[in-house]
Amino acid sequence: MRFTNYCNTSSQIRERNPEIAVFGIGAIEQHSYHLPLGTDWLAVAEITRRVAEKLGAFLVPALPFSMSECHGPMPGTVWLKPKTLAAVITDVVNSLQAQGINRIILVNGHGGNFVLEAMIRELNLARPSLQLVMPSGELVISVEEPIFETGHLEVHAGEGETSFHLAFNAEHVKTDKSVDYVPPVGREFLDYAYMSFISESGVWGCPSRATVAKGETALDAEVRSICQEAELVFKFLDEQSASRAAATTRS
Amino acid sequence: MVFDYQNTFDEVRDGKPTVAILPIGATEREGDHLPVGASTLVLETVSRQIAEGLGEPTYLLPVMPFGTSGSFVGSAGTISLSWSTLMDVITDLVESLARQGITRIVVIDSLGGAGGSMIRPGENYIVKTAVRQMNYDHPELDVLWVQPFTAAARDLKVIMDFPKDDAHAGELTTSLLMHLAPDLVQSNAQDHVPPIGKTALDWVPFAALCPDGVWGHPSRATADKGKLAIAAAVKQTIAYIQESFAYLSQAKQRA
Repeated sequence: MRFTNYCNTSSQIRERNPEIAVFGIGAIEQHSYHLPLGTDWLAVAEITRRVAEKLGAFLVPALPFSMSECHGPMPGTVWLKPKTLAAVITDVVNSLQAQGINRIILVNGHGGNFVLEAMIRELNLARPSLQLVMPSGELVISVEEPIFETGHLEVHAGEGETSFHLAFNAEHVKTDKSVDYVPPVGREFLDYAYMSFISESGVWGCPSRATVAKGETALDAEVRSICQEAELVFKFLDEQSASRAAATTRS
Repeated sequence: MVFDYQNTFDEVRDGKPTVAILPIGATEREGDHLPVGASTLVLETVSRQIAEGLGEPTYLLPVMPFGTSGSFVGSAGTISLSWSTLMDVITDLVESLARQGITRIVVIDSLGGAGGSMIRPGENYIVKTAVRQMNYDHPELDVLWVQPFTAAARDLKVIMDFPKDDAHAGELTTSLLMHLAPDLVQSNAQDHVPPIGKTALDWVPFAALCPDGVWGHPSRATADKGKLAIAAAVKQTIAYIQESFAYLSQAKQRA
């Protein structure tokens, strides 16, 4: 199944008539000494490309920027405010619906984007024809053997993120510069202080445990999980629509 | 020295960039012969060459893949931001650069062209207001905007056959893509120039004036024109940036 993306012409996309669009949210932010600033953006671009390929979807260019203010002014970090991010996604959804695509898979590449669930709910409830879903990516991973030893300890630039990056951008991973650190507080402390106050290295996790093999397994599992979850949700929503339509006809 | 998203934060910290570049691309119908990401693709190359030629440590941000493309909404592949969203995106990114001590920032606004104006951008019109407001709200900053192919308008009038008629997916953009990514260019383009000025785009969708999505002469495009156009755009944009920062430094009596 061939997918379409920004390298296609408008008429090529129109001929394919994609029913689903895939849109990744990246980030440009500090990832300690061993991972590049664009880690989240590059990872989500790779994941969404693979998801779009599997589903024959329209791949929207991944948004490079999102709510990275949690990393404060650590050099290289740039960010959008919550309302700005929500506005970008709303505009993207509007553009997709205007061209007849009502099924949208949003893939969140940065953990700090806490406006997303709120805005997704509002949009879906306001627009009965819209099916905007943000799969957690954990459906498959939680059922199988855990891939990462320290996944539960990781918030940023740890075993998981580092393994992922080794799987497709290894030349930009500086393994020998990585530092392990797990702060003595819960991750909600990022609601109270910049990352730099909590972790000087910018790490929250154990990148030393990262391997290429774990990354490749996880990348594969996440792509499968997103596709499976999205398809289940779309099926559920279609059934919902059908039973609503049947109820309307009866009344 | 250019820093970008492949660098680590400490490399940027130690490199102390003195200028940042924010390129704004687009994802929109470009006739039926060019990729919808044409502007983004061109800017990836052009913004990097500008960064490399500035002669000071530069932080180059990824190309923002969406701008205000309202004229094309509804056509397959088009993603458009409202003007207020784009203004907020620029504002937030500039403020986050200011917070880390980068005080000289250049917004490279889409492509522009031979018929463009250095005073009012032909694409993403709101960039002008966003930049102006940033300079008011942050007196410590010098924020510029520039459309690279408008900066090279004089050169383009020599390079191109129909410089003035060229507004969208025409001779310029087709030439640029023929040079940068020829396998993405289809050969079905028809020349078309509507009998009305571009102001009409404030009233009706693009397709109402140009059903095939073209405003210009794509049949005259060549890869060689694309190569020459890029060289001119990079050179003139670098000159504009350097001269503008030098002038502002003096005008605002900075140390």
